[in-house]
Amino acid sequence: MPHVMISSKKCTGCHMCELACSAYHEGAYRPSVARLFADVNPTTAEIKGHTCLQTACAKCQDVCPHDAIVTKRITIAPKGDFASKEKIGDSVEGYALVVDESKCTNCGECYDVCPTGVIHEHPDRHVAFKCDLCDGDPQCIAFCQNKYVLAVDLKVDKMDRELAGA
Amino acid sequence: MDFYQGNVLRIDMGAMTSAVEPLNMDWAQLYIGGKGLLLRYMWEEIPPGLDPWSAENPVFLMTGPFAGTNVSTASRLVVGCKSPVTGVLNDSYVGGSFAPELKFAGYDAIIITGRAARPTVVTIKDDVVEFRPAEPKYWGMKTSEVEEALREDFDPKAKVLSIGPAGEKKIPWACVSTDQYHKAGRGGHGALLGDKNLKAIAIRGTGSVSVGDAKAFLADLRRIHEQYVLTDDNYWVHEEGTPILVDLVNGAGAFPTRNWSEGEFEGAGNLNSESFQKIRIKKRACYQCALACRNFHGVEQGGEMVRGEGPEYETIALCGANCGVDDIAALMRFNELCDEWGMDTISTGSVLGLAMDLTEKGIKDFGVHFGEVDSYLKAPELMATRTGIGEELALGSKHLAEKYGVPELAMEVKNLELPGYDPRGTFGMSLSYSTSDRGGCHMRSYPVGDEIITGDEPADTMEGKAAYNINGQNFSSMKYLGIWCDFWAIDLDQMSQLLKHVWKRDVTEEELALAGERVWNLGRLFNLREGMTAADDYLPELLLTKPHKRGPSAGRTIGKDVFAEKTMEYYQLRGWDENGVPTEEKLAGLGVDVRL
Repeated sequence: MPHVMISSKKCTGCHMCELACSAYHEGAYRPSVARLFADVNPTTAEIKGHTCLQTACAKCQDVCPHDAIVTKRITIAPKGDFASKEKIGDSVEGYALVVDESKCTNCGECYDVCPTGVIHEHPDRHVAFKCDLCDGDPQCIAFCQNKYVLAVDLKVDKMDRELAGA
Repeated sequence: MDFYQGNVLRIDMGAMTSAVEPLNMDWAQLYIGGKGLLLRYMWEEIPPGLDPWSAENPVFLMTGPFAGTNVSTASRLVVGCKSPVTGVLNDSYVGGSFAPELKFAGYDAIIITGRAARPTVVTIKDDVVEFRPAEPKYWGMKTSEVEEALREDFDPKAKVLSIGPAGEKKIPWACVSTDQYHKAGRGGHGALLGDKNLKAIAIRGTGSVSVGDAKAFLADLRRIHEQYVLTDDNYWVHEEGTPILVDLVNGAGAFPTRNWSEGEFEGAGNLNSESFQKIRIKKRACYQCALACRNFHGVEQGGEMVRGEGPEYETIALCGANCGVDDIAALMRFNELCDEWGMDTISTGSVLGLAMDLTEKGIKDFGVHFGEVDSYLKAPELMATRTGIGEELALGSKHLAEKYGVPELAMEVKNLELPGYDPRGTFGMSLSYSTSDRGGCHMRSYPVGDEIITGDEPADTMEGKAAYNINGQNFSSMKYLGIWCDFWAIDLDQMSQLLKHVWKRDVTEEELALAGERVWNLGRLFNLREGMTAADDYLPELLLTKPHKRGPSAGRTIGKDVFAEKTMEYYQLRGWDENGVPTEEKLAGLGVDVRL
């Protein structure tokens, strides 16, 4: 499925993606609850991006005892220029795994299995929170992709495209 | 409250206590943030005439309203104090990620006073402030070591502000470090923190910065970034970064070479942007910056790899050309050593260049010579630890040159060593240095921009340079309220579009121009109150009277008379009297809310 990836090589460690993500979802800048993050070692400049692979992983959905991780069909149309645009065009159909907060009991099963560490307990609402691709306009991409830096990008593989019927 | 957290954290190192108080929002209205709020707090908190080395002398860490948002370049922190080096105000700016983290922890500013009985580390996790002994573990550590150790011991996501061993030894040009390569370099803040026995502050913030309607703000920022930040004009920042200046400044005969004895360095081609691009590994950015000016380099030196960010232009000038060194790997190593020991590279290179000059002139043998790499690479440790030649070099340029009867060889203003532009190749920089509020500095006004980079202004005349510097200083003051970085060529209109979100009303360019000038005048009042006089607005005489013998700027001098005349013109245009004191009329017109 279309999902967001951070290129460790290209990432400059500016954290713009985390900032935009948190502002969009939380209504205020709070990168400690961003849905993606880049681990940056300031001394060595080693950077590791952490993002949700959506249905390409789906371990959270598999393990959830309450069916609280729901597959949601979504049209993703990042605004402006981005590196994958050539491959994808202006938009791509896909699925996002989203949390149904009415079903989530904060049991924590998904927190333990997430391979990239991007599903957590929300510090205020005490339910799981995760990347939902911003209703199709991922803010992380919007605030990263430019002619200088092309680190946070939308990835789509062949199988995903078939699945989405694209 | 939107953009501001409304909180100031006070840390008393003597009592080992902390307290939170409300940010003075009346001052925030008048002085916005950054430099302005810093100076207003300094005016209030520093008893007039205070000995800068007294335990009472506070160190301020101040943010701007946009730290912790998506506003590009606005993650800067200003570290401020009454400088123990210059005796006047010092505001030193640093990028990295400390300022946003401070905001996320819930504070706009930290004010540090008192002196701890023992070396101490302060940790801040949101509202929990703790004092930890710095001995035996942290005291003595180099900057990268103490950062790493605190991430391990306190919080893996902590941002650390620290001093190196040079700060512990109170070297006058000891700096404050964060994210290893980012330095609040100038004016001895590191020495002052060392005097307070404060090795490091590690901070972790999990709170939020409110901006009102976040989605509307995000949408507007996307427009602003596209229109004004990610433009062709700003592209050099990402493509090259500050090494781009090497060829330009050298080509103008303004590149300080071998203790300012020449303005053109024959080895500049080995230290220019092209040479650094060959060893570039990666681009790095400060927090919340789309421009990513920082270059992470790697090169073999002495059989071992040296990896790290920088050196930036000023380091290349002062630690390269000014020491006669054109070996890029040696310069990389030297820069790393300055970073690790915690020293400002401008002053380090300047003092070492002077020591080389004294040695070669046979005045005093410090065992260091222009272009001689072995002794050059041993110098930073000696300087940072006050051992060997380091003991005397810790006097700094001014006092070292005076001690050996050659004060004319010290390149400083107000006891702060000059950065990398020789006014003989760019006349406007003479007044920029002499009237800079913190002493020898290039970041208050920058005639280099038009005299060398664009070529729009002639570099060999003082005509119009008083006004040029005034405009530059007022504009930079406004920019440092933001706190925007110099590498975004932002203008007042763009600032007003951003501040509209803060003040929830239309903002005019005129009121922002006024705010910048207001802050500059407040700084002048502070300096005058602390004993500075017009006589301190000087420039090393040699730069005014002794022309270079060769190179692009050969034969040119400003002359003492013209310089004195232009200084008077500067005072007049500023609305200051002939002693450089702002008139009542000027202060009232600007709405400055304090008086001498």
